[in-house]
Amino acid sequence: MTRLHPFTLLAIAGALPALAWLLPAPVGGLATAVVALGLTLTGGARLTRTAVLTAAPFWLFLLLLHDLPTSIAIGLRVTTMVASFVWVVGALPPPRLVEAMVAAGWSASVAYVFAATLAAAPVLRARARRIADAQRCRGLSARGGLAHRLRALWALALPLILSSLHEVDERALALETRRLVPGARRTPLSPPPDRGAERLARWGLVAACAAALGWRLR
Amino acid sequence: MTRLTLERVTFRYPATEAPALEDVSLEVRGGEVVALVGSVGAGASTLLLVAGDLAPRVVGGRLEGRVSFDGEGPRAIVLPAPWTQLSGMAFTVWDEVAFGPANLGLPRDEISRQVDQAVARLDLEALTSRDPTTLSGGELQRVIVAGILAMRPALLLLDEPTAELDPVGARTLWKLVRTLAGEGTAIVMATSELDALPAITDRVVWLERGRVAATGPAALLASDALVVANMGTTVAAVWRAAGLPPPYPLTVAHAAQRWERR
Repeated sequence: MTRLHPFTLLAIAGALPALAWLLPAPVGGLATAVVALGLTLTGGARLTRTAVLTAAPFWLFLLLLHDLPTSIAIGLRVTTMVASFVWVVGALPPPRLVEAMVAAGWSASVAYVFAATLAAAPVLRARARRIADAQRCRGLSARGGLAHRLRALWALALPLILSSLHEVDERALALETRRLVPGARRTPLSPPPDRGAERLARWGLVAACAAALGWRLR
Repeated sequence: MTRLTLERVTFRYPATEAPALEDVSLEVRGGEVVALVGSVGAGASTLLLVAGDLAPRVVGGRLEGRVSFDGEGPRAIVLPAPWTQLSGMAFTVWDEVAFGPANLGLPRDEISRQVDQAVARLDLEALTSRDPTTLSGGELQRVIVAGILAMRPALLLLDEPTAELDPVGARTLWKLVRTLAGEGTAIVMATSELDALPAITDRVVWLERGRVAATGPAALLASDALVVANMGTTVAAVWRAAGLPPPYPLTVAHAAQRWERR
């Protein structure tokens, strides 16, 4: 799956949520959620677990706010969105996306912004782990009562936010000096191959979404 | 011919009234190595940002005076922390080094040539297929320097470039600085490795609270004023602390000569 062209991966990740909202509930949402969760399985059980755990709070709030049929209808659509995003983040290495976008004629800086969004989650997770380790070394414990846990969360969240903001400045300088500037026409180093069958599949997904929209508006 | 000129430059960061640089004038030509020395907050890093056209253009702030640059290549800066300088867009060290040249839009074969040369200069051949995020701080710093060199800068700005390097890595880098200067690159560096400077630098600029306090050849590092301010070489400081008379020796070799002549 990771060998597919980045645009194909993005097209799948975009089409599934679109179809989830366009097709009639709950069958449409159920079908797209099953496909999306199935895709996460191709990246390993860890991705599926992440998708399910991320979608779980949405289900909880839906069940508190709505009746059961509505909760199921919306919940399946939200699950499709979450699972599609988790899958594409796991399956699409940002450098490949940049190469593909640059090869397609996009500006390097626009491609970077797009790819950096995908790269942000693992980077932040790694930094949060380092901060947690550092705070633990200084005696912070995240166990105990709710008030204690909230204080611990604050001690973890604040350095994470501040260090991220600080890093933005330095990273901007570093990227600027390496000429990642608006309008830069980057040379693609190893552009991923874009086969005709994949291009056709992408158009097929667009056509499927358009057909679903037309059918619902009929 | 490469030439960087700062004329009576005063720079203030956003939302501050106190200038980080005040009335600084400096000219650096291709082939020259200029070292900026001073205590923390003296303005050396800011001067590098101004020289690199990053302040105020990227960091904001207000600049008075004139900064001009002529050169056949770009001006590029190496910052002290290597982790924040990673592109985040490379699977391998080779790709990371190629990030800058690719952004310059160079043809692929030229990128390949420049990257291979930079990799060899920084002794990174064994690491080219490694994931940059798995490298140590010192290895990463060498990768970042290689990435900058692969862009063939006409003006190279180094901000504490040896902060993450071990002694061998630092010596390699200092030797490379001299080699690059010999090839015509203009180099301005801020460093606290004062003992390395006599063998590398053509000129020393001593900054204090944003102003140029003194400028001169490397021998300035053995002057009484710099030694008293803890900005001299270790040999000069030891000579003075031992109560031996000035002029203070700059290096161990100078000290040995002086000692033998006594």
